[in-house]
Amino acid sequence: MGASKMKAEYKIPGGKLLSCEIGIEDEVIKTIKISGDFFMHPEDAINELEVTLLGTSIQSYQDRILKFFQKREITLYGVSQQDFITVIQIAIDSE
Amino acid sequence: MTEDWRLIDMRIEDAPTQMAIDEAIAMARLRYNTPNTIRLYRWKPSAVSIGYFQSLEKEVNLDACRKFGVDVIRRITGGGAVYHDYNGEITYSFVVPESERCVPSDILESYQVICGAIVNGLRYLGVDSEFKPVNDIVAGGKKISGNAQTRRHGVILQHGTILVDSDLERMFQVLRVSEAKISDKLIKAVQERVTNIRKYLGKDLGFIEVRDALVRGFEETFDVNLIAGDLTSEEEEMVKDLRQKYLSYEWVHQR
Repeated sequence: MGASKMKAEYKIPGGKLLSCEIGIEDEVIKTIKISGDFFMHPEDAINELEVTLLGTSIQSYQDRILKFFQKREITLYGVSQQDFITVIQIAIDSE
Repeated sequence: MTEDWRLIDMRIEDAPTQMAIDEAIAMARLRYNTPNTIRLYRWKPSAVSIGYFQSLEKEVNLDACRKFGVDVIRRITGGGAVYHDYNGEITYSFVVPESERCVPSDILESYQVICGAIVNGLRYLGVDSEFKPVNDIVAGGKKISGNAQTRRHGVILQHGTILVDSDLERMFQVLRVSEAKISDKLIKAVQERVTNIRKYLGKDLGFIEVRDALVRGFEETFDVNLIAGDLTSEEEEMVKDLRQKYLSYEWVHQR
């Protein structure tokens, strides 16, 4: 238990690179920064995605991500919803 | 009748000004009914631009940039990091409304069409290249141009780099290449995946020659006349404001 900071890099099949830095306290996401050379339209949706994940437990963040993309009209290239889940999971598992 | 588009021709500016001009043209397009616009330009001093979503520290060797006097800037477009070598690179930008029929509304298809203008232009130089989805142009299997697009204010803004005679060694001194990215492709040197026009042709070409070919590529692809023009006074005002955003610590270091 307690607080920890984790990082992960995930090479998406096809070429793009996805990175994630995440701070977790008592199994809840406290900080998160996603980065990479992908495309998301509109671009500022990335900030909303990160804010949506704050305060989410590491058991339920996948649902949050899927719901986020259901709610909004967002176009992704070089990355998929599942890739975001994958890189976050790699970070969580790295503890 | 062939339509006239505006060409802003080979303006040389620093990184924050170049990025501010691209954004200002996009903002002004529908607000002030300015013409569809193509820019060809060079960066002075040389600069690294990173994609909107990229981590500055991860992608850029800031010490090397300081040492070599290379500027660093964050774009409003996604995609990867680019080294804009003042002595070896031309950047283009392309602004038309999303309603413009000559560009598909589907983003991937629109990359293909706009990059097609670059491919056509390169052909006039003897460079046989092709569009490689999502956003690259390759010649002889190596990247010769990278491109990035955003849609906002009802407008498509695409900009991209054309490697003319870029210093590829310097490029990989100022850019950090992630180990994850190298190992996956099983290529010893990342340098081998990138080329430039001079290397491809095995001869020197001037910027003017490349510029002429690119203009012809755009004119033929979109069936337009490119007429040299300047920014409007409204656009120049916007550039002043936007330049401050691109210079700000908050913008550059946001990821």
